[in-house]
Amino acid sequence: MSSGMSRRQFLQIAGVSTIGLLAAACAAPAATTGSSSAPASGAAQSKKLIFSSYTWSGYEASINKVLDDWKAKNPGVDIEGQFAADDYWTKLQTQMASGVTPDVGIADYGRTVSYAKTGTLLPLDDFIARDGFDLKPFIPAAIAQYRWREGDFDTGGDNGKIYGLPSDGQGHIFAYNKKMFDDAKVDYPTVDWTWDDVVTAAQKLTDPTNNKWGVAAPDLGTLLRGNFVYAAGGEFITPDFKHMTLDKDETVAAYKWAWDLIYTHKVAAAPNPSQQVNPFMAGQTGMYFAGVWWISDFATVTDFEWDIMEFPKNPTTGKRTTSLESDGWWAFKTSKEPDLAWSLTSFLGNKDGQAKFAGLNYVVPPCIPDAAKAWYDETPPAHRALALQNVVDDSRKVHMTYYESQIIAAAFNPVIDKAFSNGDDIVSVMKEAQDTADQELQRAWERFSA
Amino acid sequence: MAATSSLSKMRRQEERLAWLFVTPIVLGILIFQLYPTIFSLYVSFTEWNLLTPMRWVGWRNFVDLFTNDRNFGPAMYNSFVFTVGTVLPGTALALIFAVLLNRHIRGRGLYRAIYFIPVVAPTVAVAILWSWIYEPQYGILNWMLGLVGVKGPKWLGSSDWAMFSIIIMSIWQGLGYNIVIFLAGLQSISPDLYEAASIDGANGMRQFWHITVPLLSPVTFFVVVLSVIGGFQVFAAPFVMTAGGPANATITVVMQLYKEAFQFQRMGVASAMAYILFIIIVALTAVNLSLQKYWVFYEEGE
Repeated sequence: MSSGMSRRQFLQIAGVSTIGLLAAACAAPAATTGSSSAPASGAAQSKKLIFSSYTWSGYEASINKVLDDWKAKNPGVDIEGQFAADDYWTKLQTQMASGVTPDVGIADYGRTVSYAKTGTLLPLDDFIARDGFDLKPFIPAAIAQYRWREGDFDTGGDNGKIYGLPSDGQGHIFAYNKKMFDDAKVDYPTVDWTWDDVVTAAQKLTDPTNNKWGVAAPDLGTLLRGNFVYAAGGEFITPDFKHMTLDKDETVAAYKWAWDLIYTHKVAAAPNPSQQVNPFMAGQTGMYFAGVWWISDFATVTDFEWDIMEFPKNPTTGKRTTSLESDGWWAFKTSKEPDLAWSLTSFLGNKDGQAKFAGLNYVVPPCIPDAAKAWYDETPPAHRALALQNVVDDSRKVHMTYYESQIIAAAFNPVIDKAFSNGDDIVSVMKEAQDTADQELQRAWERFSA
Repeated sequence: MAATSSLSKMRRQEERLAWLFVTPIVLGILIFQLYPTIFSLYVSFTEWNLLTPMRWVGWRNFVDLFTNDRNFGPAMYNSFVFTVGTVLPGTALALIFAVLLNRHIRGRGLYRAIYFIPVVAPTVAVAILWSWIYEPQYGILNWMLGLVGVKGPKWLGSSDWAMFSIIIMSIWQGLGYNIVIFLAGLQSISPDLYEAASIDGANGMRQFWHITVPLLSPVTFFVVVLSVIGGFQVFAAPFVMTAGGPANATITVVMQLYKEAFQFQRMGVASAMAYILFIIIVALTAVNLSLQKYWVFYEEGE
């Protein structure tokens, strides 16, 4: 009997302890998230901002240095960094759903409409006006990605409000392998080159038996951003955003030019998404169209010399329009410290902030040309500044900023991929893609209007 | 009477305590499994992007998946092809290897360990490794094919070959696990049966077909059921190796579900997909269970 009692006592104590532990565990997070600023003790005012971002190798260290600089100028304010390597947007949206957002966070041009529409983002116009924050030095296409007018399907509206500051300006480069040009005794690309010149030179560089290709056909991601399409006078969507225009002649012409490189002129290898080695870096491709962020990878090449030229012009329109995309910084409307949130946003997004990032081995250049100079002065390539020239001369806000454009592209891109991967006729595939895209756009409108 | 009532009182107290002890795990199951499962059933009837309030849309998500969605059909088809492609050859190969590894050969333990290594290796690492093997220009596979004068295909880069490539890798990776299950089954078969058969003059092949296969059928059944469930849930290998491409040739249901939920934040559509997949898996398992009376042999029952 006594042993039974002691066992029960033990069980009771253990049970009560378990419940106590559970209660403590459940209560703990509530206590830490309860207040971001903790003025309770009456000690010197101490405030806290939450900064949130996705992260990758080296990024967190760089951003922390810049955040430290801001903290040095704002004594008494602490910043809690919340970094997530995976599924960042899901985490953020879950936070939004629960009403607990960060104060400032990394911004995505593709989500600005959705987030601004639901009132999650803090409009910055009043702060900009109050502080005389100058937007003129920014490349206009970068700012356009964060300007949204209530009710619009896309960013860029003239009378819209500013819902974030762009942090960088990512254009595209036209890189070429000097050794391949030298070996084939072909003159290097010049600023006057058109798409036809690319084909002519590529024919001389191509040697399929030795796996040497004149050019790499621009991939679907490059085309989807608007490169080549805008230069050809094409569009993806009508100005009122009611219909897709993938079957518009000029749009088809741009895709067809890329497709012809592989299947008509046979100067480019068919795309292979599983290829583990970048064909330009492996010295297999004479010319290559890539996002400016590839420069840091290309810079590691030691087997051959390479350089870049401004994008070739479309032979019909004479334009070389490339896309410009900008990540950036958002301040969130739920911030209890909107002034501090703006202070941090503007600190990160202004000329000095952008220059600081560029100096921290950040892989993409600023979108304020003055701040970007140091980044573009670096080598290789010898003429890196031409990429800036390209952006300043003729760039357009990246396609894929309108509402649910990601979902729409995810529907039509695999259709186009049939032409690029399998060689299906590009013209009929673009018609099929148009039907798919249009259907998806109508559904996006339904959700937009709901 | 007094004794009985005090016993039942004690019993009641112990029962309460027992509940106290299982409370953490029960709470865990309720909060982290049952609640999300029921909640996602509700979500499957709504349109919800986490940003705006849920909007009730009835059966629309389900109907759309079968009538309008361009990716769900191919994803379902690919999952089916993957399952058939991995379950049948995978099970047969595992059985053959298990029988071989059950023999008294030198270094048997070492071989068993070697076959099990891919199982414990993370799928993502294995997938990256195989991507290199399949690399069309530098990969070892095409190099070896080149040695015998065959120009290898683009493997993962070709919509004709990509799914086949992933199936081969998955069979290779899953082999060791099934071998271990079969080995356990083989060791429970009494040696007397083989001895009696050989006295009766049955050769190795006859013994295999008439003793090993029937007596292993419950194990085979188990392996097939689990492999079918696993096959329909495949995600990591195609996600890492092809991201569903080229031209959606390797997109699977769970991958499409992941994309809908975590890239496009269409929680309603993703939840509807999850429930359709759930129903398919339950149905297939039920079919498997009902078919077992035709081919599964339970020793105890005879």
